[in-house]
Amino acid sequence: MVFEREAETTLACGAQTSFRSRRRRTQRHISPSVRLILRMEYVSPEGLRLDGRRPMEMRQIRAEIGAVSKADGSAIFEMGNTKVIAAVYGPREVQNRSQISNHALVRCEYSMANFSTGDRMRKSKGDRRSTEISLVIRQTMEASILTHLLPRSQIDIYVQVLQADGGTRSACINAATLALADAGIPMRDLVTSCSAGYLNSTSLLDLNYVEDSAGGPDVTLGILPKLDKVTLLQMDSKLPIDILENVMQLAIEGCKAIANYIREILLENTKQLEYRRGV
Amino acid sequence: METKPSSYSTNLVDQLVCPGDVVLDLSSMTNQTIKLGGGLRQDCDSISAMKAGRLSFSKPNKYWVENSQKRYVPHAGDSILGIVVDSRSDNFLVDIKGPAIAFLPVLAFEGGTRRNIPRFEIGTLLYVRVVKANPGMNPELSCTDATGKAAEFGALKDGYMFECTTGLSRRLLSSPTCPVLDALGKKISFEIAVGLNGRVWVNATSPQTTIIVANAIMNSETLSDAQQRIMVEKLLKRIQ
Repeated sequence: MVFEREAETTLACGAQTSFRSRRRRTQRHISPSVRLILRMEYVSPEGLRLDGRRPMEMRQIRAEIGAVSKADGSAIFEMGNTKVIAAVYGPREVQNRSQISNHALVRCEYSMANFSTGDRMRKSKGDRRSTEISLVIRQTMEASILTHLLPRSQIDIYVQVLQADGGTRSACINAATLALADAGIPMRDLVTSCSAGYLNSTSLLDLNYVEDSAGGPDVTLGILPKLDKVTLLQMDSKLPIDILENVMQLAIEGCKAIANYIREILLENTKQLEYRRGV
Repeated sequence: METKPSSYSTNLVDQLVCPGDVVLDLSSMTNQTIKLGGGLRQDCDSISAMKAGRLSFSKPNKYWVENSQKRYVPHAGDSILGIVVDSRSDNFLVDIKGPAIAFLPVLAFEGGTRRNIPRFEIGTLLYVRVVKANPGMNPELSCTDATGKAAEFGALKDGYMFECTTGLSRRLLSSPTCPVLDALGKKISFEIAVGLNGRVWVNATSPQTTIIVANAIMNSETLSDAQQRIMVEKLLKRIQ
């Protein structure tokens, strides 16, 4: 709390002249913690972000199916500089006999390559962050997999971040979806995920690392695009409810754009593999 | 119930579909019976795909999604290649690339009695038939055909086994004969056993021929008919 107040005062004296008009406009609905990040300019007066994107612009996405030949299904998914590889094994025999049930057991393991971030860090395998993200990915994928069709079996999803530049959670979910579809696992719909944030009183789609570490609100959303259902909604920091709706709407648009792309890639891949039978 | 061709129902046939795509709308096709095959599911009033592949239709009323994957989903009646992983007193445990280990009863052989139980080492390759594939229990295999005859089923000795996708193995078994096998068969003689679970076993008199056949089949996956014939010719030039 003390820190927040201090930040507020620095803001008040330091940026008084140049930011006065803008601050007056935004002060009404912004909490003090959000005001702190106003010190840095994430959206230029021309309406461009730090990496030159427009607020509602997504980074370039690229996907590739079949990256791991030994896996039953695999994919690489890139969102700008974020690059993720996913491999799916299964449905296969349950390894732990006590976990056999009438539904398929979905397991997920998330890891970050040591070389994925700028400063090379050696992280232990089961740290809190990766355990949490593994859980998030598992729950999101479980919502779309028709687990009741595969009783007494196990599906393993391994995702690894090769390059991290914000939005790894979303990229992992998108990669996992593609890998599952490649493995031919029955699914309700293709889950897609995208993040959105709110900085400098602008809604921003698909935050990169710098925007992500600004400490502002960061909404990660996962949807089933055909069924119009939300399977994942996470947010860091605080956001007024009316703005949340705008930000979420933006994230939904992002998810749908990704869904279209993933669909195209998947159809392209099936076309290549498909054969003419009796034609 | 009477079946009449509905204009909507033929819309997506022979098109590529993705998981979640609504394929058929049941509310617009009343008084009609349809049969659903693999890769489709009913969700209230709509039929949607749950796998990526090509939607196929067979007269009068069967719909399914034709896809290709590395794992096998067991169905009763399929002929497959399995590998023995363990033997128990009453069953052999066989790996069939499926979601669960399959059981091959020790008596499921032609004239099988308690007296003449066959001995299979771990790792033996078997050509077997799926007899039961019920959800919630391990699939059951048999080394006899429906009439109880051995009919080609049993252990495969020598030769070479490789794995491919289920799509490729289905294509190898389709009629008229798949172009690769047709082209190969005109020039050289070899034995082949194709399992619907994506395992193919090849045997020939010389190792070179076996390798050529195996390579030709593995290459043929993404080639068209004409390309397959050209590829086979190129490969065969090397051993002549």
